[in-house]
Amino acid sequence: MSFTRSERKWLEILRILSETTEPMGAKRLSELMAERGFVLSDRAVQYYLSELDDMGFTWKVGNKGRLLTPSGIAEIECALVEERIGFVISKLERLAFRSTFDPRTGTGDVAYNLSVVADEDVEGVSAAFDEVIERGMGFFSRYGIIDQDPRIPPAHTGLITVCSITMDGVIQKAGVPVNMAYGGRLAVRDGRAEAFADLIGYRGTTVDPLQLFISAGLTSVGSTVATGTGVVLANVRQVPASAQARVEEVIALMRDRGFVFPVTMDTQVFNLRDDPYRLSIVAYSGMNLIANAIEKGFTFRTEIGGGTISYAKLLQ
Amino acid sequence: MDLPLKFINHRIEEYALQVTYQPEEDAGDVIYNLSLVRREDLEDAIATLKHAYAAGLCVSDRVRFMNPGEETGGFIIPEGCAGICTLCSITIDAILIRRGVPLNPLGGGVVEIEGNIPTRFTTLIRYEHTTIDPLQVLISQEVTSVSGVMLHGSGTILANIRECHMEAERLIGDVLDELAGAGFTGILDVGVPNTPLLGVPPAPEYLGVALVGGTNAIAAFREAGKWAESRALKGLMNIRDMVSIEDY
Repeated sequence: MSFTRSERKWLEILRILSETTEPMGAKRLSELMAERGFVLSDRAVQYYLSELDDMGFTWKVGNKGRLLTPSGIAEIECALVEERIGFVISKLERLAFRSTFDPRTGTGDVAYNLSVVADEDVEGVSAAFDEVIERGMGFFSRYGIIDQDPRIPPAHTGLITVCSITMDGVIQKAGVPVNMAYGGRLAVRDGRAEAFADLIGYRGTTVDPLQLFISAGLTSVGSTVATGTGVVLANVRQVPASAQARVEEVIALMRDRGFVFPVTMDTQVFNLRDDPYRLSIVAYSGMNLIANAIEKGFTFRTEIGGGTISYAKLLQ
Repeated sequence: MDLPLKFINHRIEEYALQVTYQPEEDAGDVIYNLSLVRREDLEDAIATLKHAYAAGLCVSDRVRFMNPGEETGGFIIPEGCAGICTLCSITIDAILIRRGVPLNPLGGGVVEIEGNIPTRFTTLIRYEHTTIDPLQVLISQEVTSVSGVMLHGSGTILANIRECHMEAERLIGDVLDELAGAGFTGILDVGVPNTPLLGVPPAPEYLGVALVGGTNAIAAFREAGKWAESRALKGLMNIRDMVSIEDY
């Protein structure tokens, strides 16, 4: 359908606009579209923009450019379902690539999830985060707080938890190809991880798997930290089995820097189908911190893979 | 050691193998979904089911209500709850497979409806990538507005999609007609070969068939702020043990 072809372009325009807070003009949009493989003249971009205005997805801010409307923001989450299946993973892969953290020197950037919490809840949510960290069921031993960010509305605070995709970035930069395979629910008994209760592959969904498990109430992080038994979130990524030594070296360095993983690592882990050529690395998700707070009844929004931040800043 | 986890596409095929239902005789075993509501809410739930059926949002008109203490598939309905068994759309997959239609279950998700016409999937989870039923996790994401569709023809509902080989196009049409005659009203849309259906492209030489999810009425009930739980459990039940919602 030729319709789909043009839909693909205007969806990309919406995505570019969603990543900026300032109005953007046709010229800049045309440059950014070209970077993404859509070569369009300024005039063609103008044409798409007026179409998007008509559909109510964008609005013109004087002659400064366009901003998204609320229905434009919503449309990004609805259009072209098949393509968005690939988008969950490619967004994470982009972040992995941008995670420049070097575990040898402790410098560079790590990827984070951004939770936007109402000021009056910050204390309670932080306490929930702390519980998980104390039990070693997060991905990193700390979390950060930011308040000056355009994404954070007044009377709210941003809590930054390290996203495990940071690990993929580090492994990649050590020259090992890594594939983020699954988000899962991992059953823990008496403090020991036993088996996966469910898995959802990152390449088969338009919604982040861990977000799905949290909002479906399918975690019991709270009882796991309290009693040692329950169901928590974990990720599975896979690397070539022959890269084991190199990966182990990276992991040891990262552990010295406060990262908490892996739960286990093998060609046959828990109740995953075994694959003699792929090494599965299981790590508790940083989202366990968020799940614990949500289970306690706090409501707030979390953007998985909100961006990257310098490791040094996180330690402050 | 535990057996490896089973992905949903395989689980669907296993369920499908057990279905013996014959639409022409209206007899045999079907697959059902079990949902729980509070006992005092049962009247409301029945009203919602009737309304959803009238709006074409149920797989079929058949239901079975269960009392606390009654057992089904090894599960006992808890005290204070009523069990509602509704037909699962896998039953239709099973019938197509048994008639010899080459069929691959693709995935479950959320479909947008505008003016009573399905327009596109807005959320999709592919079966071969998940060990949990997509509709079971999606029902609690507050992403549906089934009641919107029931009231004014626009909103979002739970649905699923499979692909069938185009060689079987006529056979599919015949089977679906037969099913519609037997009270199966849950056929959402049938695509044409090699063309995306509701935004989901089939494999080469295949066409998409979209069906409504079996738990839309329960989703509508939850949207009204009532407590309802859709159990992961599916089971096999003789169609004779079910009754038409229209009899209530």
